[in-house]
Amino acid sequence: MTLGLAGQSQGYDAEPRKIHVIQGQFHVAEGDDVVLTTILGSCVAACIRDPLTGIGGMNHFLLPGEAGDEGLRYGVQSMELLLNALLRKGCRRDRLEVKLFGGGHLFDGLSNVGGQNSDFAERFVRDEGLRHVGGSLRGDRARRIQYWPGSGRARQILLAPTEAKVLVTERRAPVAPTQDSGALELF
Amino acid sequence: MPSPSSIPCLVVDDQQTMRSLVRTGLQQLGFRTIHEAPDGEEGLRHMLARPVQLVISDYNMPKLDGLGLLRAIRSHPPIQKTAFIMLTGRADKELVQRAVQFGVNNYLVKPFTVGTLKEKIEAIFGVLA
Repeated sequence: MTLGLAGQSQGYDAEPRKIHVIQGQFHVAEGDDVVLTTILGSCVAACIRDPLTGIGGMNHFLLPGEAGDEGLRYGVQSMELLLNALLRKGCRRDRLEVKLFGGGHLFDGLSNVGGQNSDFAERFVRDEGLRHVGGSLRGDRARRIQYWPGSGRARQILLAPTEAKVLVTERRAPVAPTQDSGALELF
Repeated sequence: MPSPSSIPCLVVDDQQTMRSLVRTGLQQLGFRTIHEAPDGEEGLRHMLARPVQLVISDYNMPKLDGLGLLRAIRSHPPIQKTAFIMLTGRADKELVQRAVQFGVNNYLVKPFTVGTLKEKIEAIFGVLA
């Protein structure tokens, strides 16, 4: 059953139901019939679940949250919304497992927002006392992420450098599947 | 014109990161005495032991949420007049109406800027020095 933004449930299918999490959103789901997906460049996605309830979720944020006039936003907000949604569904904070993905530095010469996002996400998890059990941060490649909240399994597919341009499109609309170029199964 | 340095505050939020951000925002505005609590129960214990003049509290918290903390403060005469700003994760009209019924002084929807934080505080205490 899916919980959260979609708010719909459906029966078991052999093929998992894919829910794409776009920039600035989060989604909470449970069960083995759901896979949460996203595509990341410099953005970071946190995949968080409670292994006892089998409920988990994914967010996708663009910028870290740091102190400053415009700073109390983005990553902090995104993490809080996801955590609150999980806790409301009965997850317990002390059981939560976190996997972090993304934060790539795709283009030389531009500021390293991906590095800042990665630093923020790791610091957030550490400061909040959450368990960081895996993931893949930084690097110079864009990634497609699949996350099964029911099992906690995650798969990262690195995209070819030429495919980074799809991320520009993604900021306007969900990206259509592109050809995989480096699948890597994690955990 | 009140000086922020003369207004002791308590920031109540279950997320350390958010408490740190609010603290940093308050420090930028000149506040110097800033205490923290990770949930409403701890916040109330702190208030009863060491009252402050301003409480900035999250709504979503374990044990005792922001509304519970607000009600508890308003029911304890020694601290019932403490200024209380509620932090909410979204613009929830019903929540704000309930908070108003319980005597909240102002509310702040996350994400917010230091400028907005200042406006909300000044709406209670007047223009800060």
